[in-house]
Amino acid sequence: MIKSYKARRIISNTLIYIILAIMCLIWVSPFAYLLLHSFRGEGYVTVNYLIPHEFTFKNYIDLFLGTGGDASINFPRWFLNTLVVAIFSCVISTISVLAVSYSLSRLRFGARKKLMNVGMILGMFPGFMTMIAMYYLLDAMHLTRTLVALVICYSCGAGLGFQISKGFFDTIPRALDEAATIDGANKNQIFWKIILPMSKPIVVYTVLTSFIGPWCDFILAKIIMGDDRANYTVAIGLQAMTTNEFIQAYYKQYLAGSVCVAVPITILFLRMQKYYVEGVTAGGVKG
Amino acid sequence: MKKVLAILLAGMMTATAFAGCGGSGDASSSGGSSNASGGSSAKASGGKVDEAMFGDETDITLKVWAPDKGVSLAKQHIEEFKKMYPNIKFKKIDVVAQGEGEAATQLVNDPNKAADVFSFPSDQLNKLDAAKCLSPVSKAFIEDVTATNAESTVKAATLKDSKSKEDVLYAYPETNDNGYYLVYDKKVVSDDNAKTLEGILKACKDAKKEFVMDCGNGFYSCTFAFTAGAVIDGFEEDNETQKFKEYDEDEAVDTLMAFAKLMKEYKGTWKSQDPAQIASGFKNGTLGAGVDGSWNSVADKETLGNDFGATKLPTINVNGKDKQLISMFGYKYLGVNAKTKFPRTAHILAYYLASEKCQQDRAEKLGWGPSNTKVSETEFVKNDVTLQAIAAQSQNAVAQVNIQGTFWQAMGTLGNEMMKDGWKPDDKAATKKLLETTISDVRDEG
Repeated sequence: MIKSYKARRIISNTLIYIILAIMCLIWVSPFAYLLLHSFRGEGYVTVNYLIPHEFTFKNYIDLFLGTGGDASINFPRWFLNTLVVAIFSCVISTISVLAVSYSLSRLRFGARKKLMNVGMILGMFPGFMTMIAMYYLLDAMHLTRTLVALVICYSCGAGLGFQISKGFFDTIPRALDEAATIDGANKNQIFWKIILPMSKPIVVYTVLTSFIGPWCDFILAKIIMGDDRANYTVAIGLQAMTTNEFIQAYYKQYLAGSVCVAVPITILFLRMQKYYVEGVTAGGVKG
Repeated sequence: MKKVLAILLAGMMTATAFAGCGGSGDASSSGGSSNASGGSSAKASGGKVDEAMFGDETDITLKVWAPDKGVSLAKQHIEEFKKMYPNIKFKKIDVVAQGEGEAATQLVNDPNKAADVFSFPSDQLNKLDAAKCLSPVSKAFIEDVTATNAESTVKAATLKDSKSKEDVLYAYPETNDNGYYLVYDKKVVSDDNAKTLEGILKACKDAKKEFVMDCGNGFYSCTFAFTAGAVIDGFEEDNETQKFKEYDEDEAVDTLMAFAKLMKEYKGTWKSQDPAQIASGFKNGTLGAGVDGSWNSVADKETLGNDFGATKLPTINVNGKDKQLISMFGYKYLGVNAKTKFPRTAHILAYYLASEKCQQDRAEKLGWGPSNTKVSETEFVKNDVTLQAIAAQSQNAVAQVNIQGTFWQAMGTLGNEMMKDGWKPDDKAATKKLLETTISDVRDEG
């Protein structure tokens, strides 16, 4: 109908931009709400307008200093707990994932294929199926309600998620290994000195995914921590703030807390971002 | 190596098999042992007992769950408790903050790690009983507990034992206040207006303010069914199906129609929102009145200051007759964990924490409505507007016990349907059908 190519392009571009803008608005609005209202000074729970009338840092200050609140709401402590758990499980699971992937990629041993299949099948069960069993196993070891239990749960099974990094290692030519072997390196040295420096993207990817886990996990942490509020992580702590008992006094602090949770993850993400995409796509080339 | 691992794993498996709530046998026996300890000399009253009742328990370690606001007071009470028994050796009695809303969930998850004495709302009683997590009130205390607390609170905690079919009192009444009532801004709604639903809505509409009552939440919207006469009455013989009292269907339908008419007439004024919004609404000045829970009363009071009004729920005019709104009303109890290692002390402590003195302290410092009849008569409680409103509403309420899980959703749907835009308040047949569907949904007959 419309002959001119230029006019057609303008129309279709406008349409596309309108659609994108609407989608963007829908997607961004919860975040905008969260951020705006975490600075809201007035009201208790929600208000029926989008832009707060009064902006203040009080919610953040209260959140971290715990002023005027109940003793068992202790956000700084929860934040620290989560950070510690995240760092430990990040280090342990990164090492174990990479080590498992390396050995499955480079070493040839009996039952290698079978082990990989078992790992694959185990990975397909949804995690929360085993949670109750995990709780009682931890209980038998007297570890429930401790942060150690969380680190164990988050990092010990991590080796099963070897698929992507194994795929990445497979793309590194074996000739490099052979050359190193001729020069007298053993398998351990090859892993640390040859393969790892070449696998930055996949290391970053593993670090990121295992660091984010503890910040987002709710169900397992909730089951393990029970009534021990001092050992809560941010996820269950924030949820506790929205229960009937606290919501009146803590809703705005809850919003502020949700913003704060995003900070460490964002920092890590920004610093490592450029490797991230590379890592995800590189691992997928050869599975 | 493999063998060691296998043995270790097997060991853990067996250990887990023994954990959990399953050990029903000792639930009653632990209660029994403390009963026996009472012996002939035991006549407990006023929260104090003979030291002999502690039996051979020594180096006592207990954990108590209290909601956050009550922790410091509970600690104080426990210090007093220890002083009352100078010859008993207490190692440590901890008070841990645990919201009552989740008490049963946490307890059933792992009774061995849970509190020995804990506070919980009445609707969790069945769950705790089913999991055999509650140790029944010691025989030595039953008489005193029954005599000093409001009859309704004792009755609600009395369940039939599944084996012996005898009535057993499972917990110590702690409060008589777990319900909702009317809060209003005196600048908008006068005390006189607050007596009728019509008056409230009109006053709110005239002042261009809102009235909040959550119609989509079964906890609040069951008011419609209850006021209509469809009142629940425990379970049928099968112990599963919800039983309803006999009611006059015509009148019930008329009542529901009266509610729906008001919803339609005052569309825009009557908002169905979560009561957590009410304090905000008062603060923003958009709200005139609301049906709010006792747990929010502190925030409401703070916001409105001198204009804070609280009273029982209003009446509604049905065919020229004013009918009182009937609400859902719960109580809070102190329970003793069936798995406690010190059953005697745990019972004595629970008995003390539920006593007149402790209830008086909680009423004055936390604003909790007492179940103890003497405390209810004190000047302090008599002069407290909120506590009086709660007490008045408790006279027009259905106890929140023995409620089937199907109840909440069905009642929420009832409220939502009536609130819906297209609902015709004059359609008698549709209203009748809605009521029938609601009741059959609750009874799970669909």
